[in-house]
Amino acid sequence: MEMAAVLARWLLGATFLYLGLDKALHPADFLKLIRQYDLPQNPWMLNPIAALLPWFEFFCGLLLLAGIAVRGTALVLIALLVPFTVVVFRRALAIQSAQAIAFCAVKFDCGCGAGEEFVCHKLLENLVLLALSIWLVAGRGQKLCLHHTLRSSSRAKT
Amino acid sequence: MNHQFLQSGTTARGTLAGIVVEALVVLAAGIAAALIANLVSPRGLELSRNYFPGAGAAPPISNGAPGRPATNSAPFSPAEYLAARMREQGLQLVDESRAAQWFQDSKSQSGGIVFVDARDESHYRGGHIPGAYEFDPYYPEKYFPTALPPCQAAETVVVYCNGGDCDDSQSAALLLRDVGIANQKLFIYGGGMPDWIAHGLPVETGSRNSGNLHPETK
Repeated sequence: MEMAAVLARWLLGATFLYLGLDKALHPADFLKLIRQYDLPQNPWMLNPIAALLPWFEFFCGLLLLAGIAVRGTALVLIALLVPFTVVVFRRALAIQSAQAIAFCAVKFDCGCGAGEEFVCHKLLENLVLLALSIWLVAGRGQKLCLHHTLRSSSRAKT
Repeated sequence: MNHQFLQSGTTARGTLAGIVVEALVVLAAGIAAALIANLVSPRGLELSRNYFPGAGAAPPISNGAPGRPATNSAPFSPAEYLAARMREQGLQLVDESRAAQWFQDSKSQSGGIVFVDARDESHYRGGHIPGAYEFDPYYPEKYFPTALPPCQAAETVVVYCNGGDCDDSQSAALLLRDVGIANQKLFIYGGGMPDWIAHGLPVETGSRNSGNLHPETK
């Protein structure tokens, strides 16, 4: 079970490493994609997301692969995945309404780094990543870590 | 037993607090790392720059069929919406027949008419209007030295990108106008490269004046 959690940690890390790097190498494309969401069209809102978020994802992916601050990193990824999934869902609803098609037939590039995908596939993917992150926050995947926690947890003294 | 229960609860809260603190440390370190990476990356973005001058919000959602108006509250297709916004900015739009006419004009060989490709490097090298200058509006400083002088010398400057709802040609045209290229000689070929290819017009791959001409390309 613990090895399964380690593999899950590596899978999660590799996913964010790859997706983050792909966007980091094409930040202008990512900037154009995030305009499609209902965010304030202000450079100070859009540009930091486009410029920094990909590198941040890459950084988190590295931490998970190396096994450093695993639970904290997984918690950060949960904090990213939840709003991402919500905005992708809302965008898909808008496209479904505009094109009068079935929800799972909606296909678009959400800006996640994997190109155009069917929304149901994307949402399922995000749910899996979320589940893996929750599993890691719970303390699994501690083997083969460089530094699982940044500081040793201390038991409460009597 | 109550004491042990309280102790385990305290430990759990302490663990949770520890995870949150760890998350905050990861967040701070990650943001710092991202700032540095963006700064040193040759493809980094400027955090304060408006990359969509005069664009406003993104175009409305397409109904999925090119050329057809959207079926929801937006009365125009994304391309029509973009064309309307360009006209609001005082930019002049031309269609394929005008662009092709200028391309075949002898002035396009002598520099009197220049074409400017507002797409990124990979799209440019994948196929552009022969002789067009590359000018990615997201990295204008890189392309001003090569693209600006010919635009200043030309009588007509035709800017294009990927057609449809691509507004990079608008961004590029506004940048050129901001640095002194007169509006009356600036034109935007709205159909862009897909339209050019669809009409079977010549396409050049690789760098400018590479000589790799095709009747059509992907």
